[in-house]
Amino acid sequence: MIVLEILTKAFWSGIAAVGFAILFNVPKRTLFPIGAMGAIGGFIKFGSMFLGIGIVLASFIGASLIGIISIQMAHMKKSPPLIFSIPGVIPMVPGAFAYRMMLGFIALIDLEDKDVYIQTLIDTVNNGAKMIFILISLAIGVSIPMLISRKETIKKLKETTN
Amino acid sequence: MSSMKDSVADAQSAGNTLLEIGALLMSSGASTHRTRVTMKRIAQSLGYGIELLITQRALMLTIIEKDQQYFFSRMKRISPLHPNFKMVSGISHLSWNVKEQNWGVEQIKDELQRLKSLPKYPRWLLLVMVGAAGAGFCNLFGGDALNMGVSFIATVAGLFVRQEAARKNFNPYLCVFFAALVASFLAGLSEHFEIGADPEKAVATSVLFLVPGIPLINSVTDMIDGNIQNGVVRAINGLMIAFAIAFGLFTSRMILNF
Repeated sequence: MIVLEILTKAFWSGIAAVGFAILFNVPKRTLFPIGAMGAIGGFIKFGSMFLGIGIVLASFIGASLIGIISIQMAHMKKSPPLIFSIPGVIPMVPGAFAYRMMLGFIALIDLEDKDVYIQTLIDTVNNGAKMIFILISLAIGVSIPMLISRKETIKKLKETTN
Repeated sequence: MSSMKDSVADAQSAGNTLLEIGALLMSSGASTHRTRVTMKRIAQSLGYGIELLITQRALMLTIIEKDQQYFFSRMKRISPLHPNFKMVSGISHLSWNVKEQNWGVEQIKDELQRLKSLPKYPRWLLLVMVGAAGAGFCNLFGGDALNMGVSFIATVAGLFVRQEAARKNFNPYLCVFFAALVASFLAGLSEHFEIGADPEKAVATSVLFLVPGIPLINSVTDMIDGNIQNGVVRAINGLMIAFAIAFGLFTSRMILNF
């Protein structure tokens, strides 16, 4: 059952990636790979969370994988890697945490009870911290292949490995 | 005398073309590093040296001719971010064609013209797919089928409002505010009428299509590459969009709780 649930989430991650790909006006030939990468990233992220890994690390693992596949895809589909990696990681963007943080701040405006205020503040800061760290781990994750290979363009990466 | 005029005119023409390429890349959603590397690659293949200053909204270029006798400097304004990855991909191809097949300035200009005229996705497809992305987000956050439907409708309405507001030349942050207000209001109605198991999920995901993904990811990418200034500018731009979304949510909450 849990596998089915993870697969469903992976599928919808793929759909979300394609939606954003169209919003960013990507070339048509890259649409299918982007959907597949969004799904793979979602599968890895939710799979690792099921295995007990925290959401920040799980997002990082998913994003790194998307970063690595995007290099391969860039060679196959002749487009720069960012075209695959940015829409690919967007389903992992911590929207829920951002939303709860915003609602928390809005609630803080006119809370008067001290205990409720402190509890809301704790939740808000917690959600905000999660959001920021997930965002950073997504961005570092997708740039990992370029950081490790220390090459300016992926074309050189291919020449050296061949 | 005429040869000097020619080389100056050539350098000017190459410089103007390079500036246009850089401005297109930055406004289409490329990172600062990519913009710099691409412009250098094209300039070197054309036989010029260049020095660059890249900021978020302006480019400064000095182009130095082969025998270091003439140079040409110019600044160019960059239009606001308007994601277009077809352009990023096309310019990447173009730069390799210049390098490997020795394209000249005229060919580059023709190719840029062609890239600018490439068709966009039809509007209905954009609305439907971004709506589906909203429904997908709702599923990821644990909403049921009804919540997903609400999120779909709210997202489509929000995106439509954003497009119309942009067409009427509203301030870009205001466009985001309007879109967030409409989307979260529609989704908030489902909270009111208790549609689906967890209507709060539909409200949270109805505004996610507005999330400034490119500014935020490029911000961190730029900072890692050492382009701290551009990274900070992009981060603040992303934050302002996030605040516009929050403000839209806040307003619709106030209306619904009234």
